[in-house]
Amino acid sequence: MKQETVAKAAVKSSDARTVDRLPALRRFTRENATEVLALLAGAVLWEILGWSLRLQWLPPFSKVMEALAQFVGSGVIRANLGSSLQGLIVGFSLALILGLLLGSLMGRYRHVEKALDIYVHALFVCPSIVFAPIFFAIFGLSDASRIAIIVVYSMFVIVINTATAIRTVDPSLVEMARSFGCRERQIFTKILLPASLPLVFAGIRLGMGRAVKGMINGEMLIAFVGLGALAQRYGAQFDAAKVFAIAMVVLIIGLASNALVQMLDNRLTRWAG
Amino acid sequence: MIRVRGLSKEFGTRDNGGGVLALSDIDFEVHDNEFVTVIGPSGCGKTTLLRIIAGLIPYDQGQVAIDGRAITGPGPERAVVFQNFALMPWADVLANVTFGLEVRGTPADECRDKAQNLIKLVGLEGFEKRLPKELSGGMQQRVGLARALAVDPQILLMDEPFGALDEQTRRLLQEQLLRLWEGQRKTVVFVTHSMDEAVMLGDRVMLMTPRPGKVKEMIDVPLQRPRSPQVEKSGAFVEIKEYLWENLRAMQTGES
Repeated sequence: MKQETVAKAAVKSSDARTVDRLPALRRFTRENATEVLALLAGAVLWEILGWSLRLQWLPPFSKVMEALAQFVGSGVIRANLGSSLQGLIVGFSLALILGLLLGSLMGRYRHVEKALDIYVHALFVCPSIVFAPIFFAIFGLSDASRIAIIVVYSMFVIVINTATAIRTVDPSLVEMARSFGCRERQIFTKILLPASLPLVFAGIRLGMGRAVKGMINGEMLIAFVGLGALAQRYGAQFDAAKVFAIAMVVLIIGLASNALVQMLDNRLTRWAG
Repeated sequence: MIRVRGLSKEFGTRDNGGGVLALSDIDFEVHDNEFVTVIGPSGCGKTTLLRIIAGLIPYDQGQVAIDGRAITGPGPERAVVFQNFALMPWADVLANVTFGLEVRGTPADECRDKAQNLIKLVGLEGFEKRLPKELSGGMQQRVGLARALAVDPQILLMDEPFGALDEQTRRLLQEQLLRLWEGQRKTVVFVTHSMDEAVMLGDRVMLMTPRPGKVKEMIDVPLQRPRSPQVEKSGAFVEIKEYLWENLRAMQTGES
């Protein structure tokens, strides 16, 4: 009896939610009609090509979704996702802290910039994956290796953007701050940091994307854990549907992390819009 | 009192050897509660001079002192109003006005009260929460003025503060500044390139010559205070303005 009421209540509340959400969903669909249509068209095209070409490496979209559903249902994704995200969060946080610190110093002090610029740019253009064997040699088969890979993937674009952002802050604002007796520390916290935020965020967004790439590459090449290891394993078995299913998950991580940064950006730099 | 003796300033000596002499052997003083306007053709170093008095850039030779103390940097007795306003675009009007107070460690309540009074004084009541980009140029500079006045400086240094504004706005702000200053006299050094502005506002006009910047003459403006906009029609106003123009014209055309 009691269970029944609970069940009813659940149905009721979920009904209410559906009713509430529908207009929002409809509005979203209307506002993003082109995007939604493009995605649908892509999925349909993929499905048709998959069935008609019968290529081993191109399973139909529905098969990929099936594999994804299986992954989610069996808990395989959850276990590996956790491990991947852990590495991503630690690695990206380190890249962020180091990137902002180094970028700020380079942007503010010409000597620091002159000394480090060549290294930062060299490491930025160099394909980060070449460091994989080196990190493997240093840290072995540990979390430290894949975290280090994420750091080199994402740090330098943050350094370069932050340095540019700090360097191009309107000098009259710095002068204004000095005229009111600001010390160097106050100039940094009250002027340079807030003024450079929009450009810094552009770097953080790029860095976030690169961190996701670093996460997967690191897992595939050295650490053999997480989503990258899964993709590696099924890739070796030529199970294309499963590889695509993992790629979907990675895609979602990429989009979600990008949206997260974007949201923070919008909130903190509304004045620049 | 601001006292400047034998001041010289050269730019670019370190990098390329051949430096440019921006200011050469400048002598003048500004008395307490006096309004001195500085005018000269572009390149006469008037803004450089103001920045030196503000303590924002060093000088090479001579003495610059306030009440007998040599200037070594910015100080709490001085505040600057900038030509391009220099407002923080991320901060609202209130936060911009309280900037100087906050830097000096004034308690938050006191910051807000003082800022509110000044915002009212410059006629921006109701705009406290607006961002600079939501204000017109004239309103932005009123924020700049309120910010400078908020720290209650003894000396106000104004670097072509109305130079970026259209003529109508400029005249309204000149009148407002006149009223403000006549109500609460501070020592003011006001750099301008407008002859009307120089005569309208100043107790004295400092006329400078370019390359290198020198003081050509200090001209008394014997117009009564408080001054109304009508003062422009008086003989003395017109006479001084014409005298300034003769001199400036000669400097520009090289006939001096």
